Amino acid sequence: MSDDKNEKKVHGIVAEYTSVDTLLDACRRVRDAGYTKTDAYTPFAVHGIDKALGIKPTVLPWIVLGGGLAGLATALAMQIWMNGINYPYIISGKPYISLPAFMPVAFELTVLFASFGAFFGMWALNGLPRFSNPIFTDPRFDRVTDDRFFLYIDAKDKSFNQAGAEKLLRDTETEYINTVVDDDTSTVIPKFLITTLITVIALSFIPLLVVARMRVTTSSQPRFHIFPDMDFSPARDAQQTTSLFADNRAMRPDVPGTVARGELEEDLDYLTGIDMESLTRLDADRAKQLVRTYAQAENGEPENSDATPKTDAPAEEKSVMDTTPWLKNNPVEITKDVVLKGQEQFNIYCATCHGRDGRGNGLVNQRAQQIMASSWIPPSSMHQESLYAEQYPDGKLFNTISNGIRKMPGYAGQIKSKDRWSIVAYVRALQQSQNASLDDVPKDQQAELKAKKADVEKALAEQAEAERKKEEERAAKAAEKE
Amino acid sequence: MSLAIPNGLDNTVERPGERAPLVLGDTTYHDITEAVCQVAERPPGRGWIFGFLVAFALLNWLGICIAYLIYTGVGVWGNQAPVFWGWPIVNFVFWVGIGHAGTLISAILFLFRQEWRTSINRAAEAMTIFAVACAGTFPGIHVGRAWLAFWLAPYPSLNLWMWPQFRSPLLWDVFAVSTYGTVSLLFWYMGMVPDLATFRDRSKNKWRRMAYGILALGWTGSSRHWMRYEKAYALLAALAAPLVLSVHTIVSFDFAVSQVPGWHTTIFPPYFVAGAIFSGFAMVLTLMVPARTMLGLEKLITIRHLENMCKIILATGSIVGLAYGTEFFIAWYGQVPEEQFAFLNRALGPYWWAYLTMVSCNVLSPQLFWFRKFRTTPWLIVLVCIFVNIGMWFERFVIVVTSLSRDYLPSAWSYFHPTWVDWSMLIGSFGLFFTLFLLFCKLMPVINMAETKSTLAKQLHMKHNDEH
Repeated sequence: MSDDKNEKKVHGIVAEYTSVDTLLDACRRVRDAGYTKTDAYTPFAVHGIDKALGIKPTVLPWIVLGGGLAGLATALAMQIWMNGINYPYIISGKPYISLPAFMPVAFELTVLFASFGAFFGMWALNGLPRFSNPIFTDPRFDRVTDDRFFLYIDAKDKSFNQAGAEKLLRDTETEYINTVVDDDTSTVIPKFLITTLITVIALSFIPLLVVARMRVTTSSQPRFHIFPDMDFSPARDAQQTTSLFADNRAMRPDVPGTVARGELEEDLDYLTGIDMESLTRLDADRAKQLVRTYAQAENGEPENSDATPKTDAPAEEKSVMDTTPWLKNNPVEITKDVVLKGQEQFNIYCATCHGRDGRGNGLVNQRAQQIMASSWIPPSSMHQESLYAEQYPDGKLFNTISNGIRKMPGYAGQIKSKDRWSIVAYVRALQQSQNASLDDVPKDQQAELKAKKADVEKALAEQAEAERKKEEERAAKAAEKE
Repeated sequence: MSLAIPNGLDNTVERPGERAPLVLGDTTYHDITEAVCQVAERPPGRGWIFGFLVAFALLNWLGICIAYLIYTGVGVWGNQAPVFWGWPIVNFVFWVGIGHAGTLISAILFLFRQEWRTSINRAAEAMTIFAVACAGTFPGIHVGRAWLAFWLAPYPSLNLWMWPQFRSPLLWDVFAVSTYGTVSLLFWYMGMVPDLATFRDRSKNKWRRMAYGILALGWTGSSRHWMRYEKAYALLAALAAPLVLSVHTIVSFDFAVSQVPGWHTTIFPPYFVAGAIFSGFAMVLTLMVPARTMLGLEKLITIRHLENMCKIILATGSIVGLAYGTEFFIAWYGQVPEEQFAFLNRALGPYWWAYLTMVSCNVLSPQLFWFRKFRTTPWLIVLVCIFVNIGMWFERFVIVVTSLSRDYLPSAWSYFHPTWVDWSMLIGSFGLFFTLFLLFCKLMPVINMAETKSTLAKQLHMKHNDEH
């Protein structure tokens, strides 16, 4: 066995003691013999041993002080920056940087960081965790955490020689002296542990990757909700069904006998854009039908349709031509406010297809042309004679807005009657604007317009000139190359 | 290990000029190791298994209730206008308060060189951590959308780029309680490392040795290590002492900084801290008295230890009683009608039964500790302490619920009704607490062996000097 020990590196010599007093006595002797690289191992903190061994005081308090100051600085900087600078807002009438209110957190972080300093600083200074230590090879060293005291002299000490140290220790009250040698137990980590660790780490990335992928990609499906966060309203959409009502419709019809705000209008001319008096003369059936429709909308119940009286007037021949007696004039009094309202409504509802200038080339049309939508019927331009007031009376235009035409849906459900009449007024103004001469403009604004026109013409001329020059240069260059 | 203490070993009698022994009998260092290690090394007894099963079942029930709460929403609690801080906040303050005794024993008594703390500090510190875990659960689920509780951290919330509001006592509370939990954990673990090394060195089983070996960080008991360790321990104690006082002070700010009559009082910080220590010591005794018998630790946790804690309960209980009186005096002296009403309403209003329970449990029952018999008879101690625990829960109930249910606006007044979820969560939090505590008893060193040995060394040293 001694041969075996000689082959291994000797780290030092250890001696065992059974009481504090014998240990302290031995410590003093070893210190007096001039050894400095020594240590005592005890089951509890023995007071006075640092003197007996000559251990110097620790720098730990300075680390703790540093930690505390760092905590204080961090807390103050964090609070001042977050609540006073980056996102300042006033609470309880306190200033942005209100130190008294920041004190509690500053105190807590001071204590926290100082405690980290004490805890981690202590382990770092002690060189722990250190799981492989030659001293653990001593067979009796397990009792150091129970009831035995050990004194150790390191082989690296300048005055170390094995025989001398052993002799010195043998003179103390000890019954056990041993040489501490290298720990030759395997330090290889078991393979299955590594495999498990790698697998767990690899698997833990999967949810993270799924989350990351979901965050950066788009999907036509609604996003995934781990927690609904009130994202889904129990209220039904207009076209959905519900079991709450007998007719299963989620969107409710008007309550019978009620009228929506702003829709109380007895005048059918105003509501339809048709001269009802003339219509009754020309086409009594259709007039009756219209009256009934509007009455039903207001009263909620269909009238008895069997009792449709036949008029005495002879039925006129049906013509391919539109014979409806449309209102020739806008029933709303035209003022600047009405036209401006019409402009606002036109730009909201009409301009997306018809364009702000009414030429029929709004954004929807442009997109439809771009993707060459086969079923697309281009919206009409307002600026064609067939749509001027002479051929297309105000009433008819109103009717078109209300009930739609070709692909265009009716807007009666979205735009109030009054505002539809405003749009009619605005369309007329828009049409006139494209065919007006300078004389149509009020005198006091003519000069201003002339100046503007001159500016525009000048700019256009300059632009044309510049383009021409560029063209010439290009031609010249091309010629040079040849 | 017999229950009765032989004559001559009664260490509750003061002998002039002599220090009463804190470790009884002809105990050696090895006896201490054996006494503490056998608790963890022998197979669990029937009592332990039964207790653990009950506690674990309650813990699971708590988990189910929390899942139900998160799935359904906070409406499952009895919290209703105007009492939006119902039992969850009562339970939070109750548990945080309980935690305080652990730090007080380990830090403040350490700084005052009260050596009798050595055999009880470990379990008291463990109790602190488990109580803080129970306490932390309640505000965590009380925020409503519990999965966004991390917004309490100083983190720029994802969509708004907003920070927490540092002028709010509720945020101070987040920092105070989390700092307290962290520092208590470090303190507890650091104190355990030498004892975990003892467990490591005694382990026969390879896996057990490896597990305790990792936890012990390679502790050797080197004198240099001990020197820095003791320095770190003293520094941590010095840091934890003001910390423990700050935590319940800040918890009391949650109430005192608001305008609610009955909350808006400057007496709250000292009153809360005294109450916290009071309830914490009661909980320590409630746990330790049965534990010392069941685990066979009578020679280390002696009657003198229990008696000292009873004296602290008597002192803090009287402080709490004085605070109750002062509140009434200030309400009268301050001449604010709402305040006066709030306190009369507390004592004589619809919650008179809660106030009566609180005063009789907190102020009257600890007065029994003036009698030596009550301080030295274990089962009487436990009885009084259970009353104190009940009383302290009711104190928080009285503060939270009576003040909120009747504040400035009489049209909003209402009576608070807890639901079965409230009850389940209160009882379930005890399940969490006892599950952790019973696991601790079985897996960790329940008594600080190293410190107790050092107390014994001093005792032996003094005896040695006397003989000469």
